[in-house]
Amino acid sequence: MEVSHSVKERTIAENSLVILLQGLRGHVTTVDLRDESTATGRVTNVDAFMNVRLAEVTFTDRQGTVSRLDELFVTGRNVRYVHIPDEVDIRATIERQLQAIHRVRYFGGRDKGRKEFPRAKHK
Amino acid sequence: GGAMSFLKRFPPPAEGVRHQQPDTEAVLAGRTLGAGTLYIAESRLSWLENSGVGFSLDYPTISLHAVSRDLNAYPWEHLYVMVNARFEEEETKEAPMAEGEEEEESDDDVEPIAEFRFVPSDKSALEAMFSAMCECQALHPDPDDEDSDNDYEGEEYDVEAHELEQGDIPTFYTYEEGLSHLTAEGQATLERLEGMLAQSVSSQYNMAGVRTEDSIREFEDGMEVDIAPVVAGQFEDAEVDH
Repeated sequence: MEVSHSVKERTIAENSLVILLQGLRGHVTTVDLRDESTATGRVTNVDAFMNVRLAEVTFTDRQGTVSRLDELFVTGRNVRYVHIPDEVDIRATIERQLQAIHRVRYFGGRDKGRKEFPRAKHK
Repeated sequence: GGAMSFLKRFPPPAEGVRHQQPDTEAVLAGRTLGAGTLYIAESRLSWLENSGVGFSLDYPTISLHAVSRDLNAYPWEHLYVMVNARFEEEETKEAPMAEGEEEEESDDDVEPIAEFRFVPSDKSALEAMFSAMCECQALHPDPDDEDSDNDYEGEEYDVEAHELEQGDIPTFYTYEEGLSHLTAEGQATLERLEGMLAQSVSSQYNMAGVRTEDSIREFEDGMEVDIAPVVAGQFEDAEVDH
């Protein structure tokens, strides 16, 4: 279970429903965009700003033209809906994500490469 | 149509360039702008034709980007970038334009869209280009976000930041890392605690829940107890008489 490496992003996620979207990693879902195009693909990542990264995407633009995209990144601002797949247990997903965040925060993770973190870059 | 008047001469970005891809064609709405170099920098996305003119796109105006390898949709593998802005000389698939007329949207509320394609001669670079753009895009979250109360000053946020001192480092240390982070006082404390654990029954410390020879005298209730040497982990199932 991956959570963001950023303290700020973990805090944002913990306090908004984006945490549910983050739990969709690995699932195939459809994202409706603000301009009424849609993208169906496998969720690779959703960050705290609701930027969505999808793989193996079927993209239907606002004129209805269908194309395939290997990878797609949609900015949070341009996401209108994210469909939650039927097979996803919403409550369990949220709880799992919260647990993952709390594990990182209070106990650290196991050795999942976290000790190899680069130091934060100061902006 | 004439020359693309939004093209300007400017120096290539020098700072924060996450990825640079030479020999990349830029295409706007199906019309080629020429061959040049794409600069994926933290501040903005820039493309400069080999002649030195080009354009930049600000990340907040970019709606999405993608890797397209679908040759049915477009005959060359490319990085697709959709921008929420209008560019001159742009042709769209929507209402046909009379020559010289400015493009008009039938619905004033529909936002303008410009479609750029960056076609590198090296197709294998597309993954790196895509990832670099994702990283840069994430540096520019939407300031107009409705749910804009992301300025968390609540306790959780402060607790983490306070503990970590910096932003993004792990909340735990492995043993070796941890040792190097202890102050002299911390190291002394660690040694003392380890000494307590290592010492046997004759320890001069009373540890909670562990019956040492001293404490046994206090709890004399006729029970014979074998005192095992104190080892770490013994605490866990110790019975504490309070």
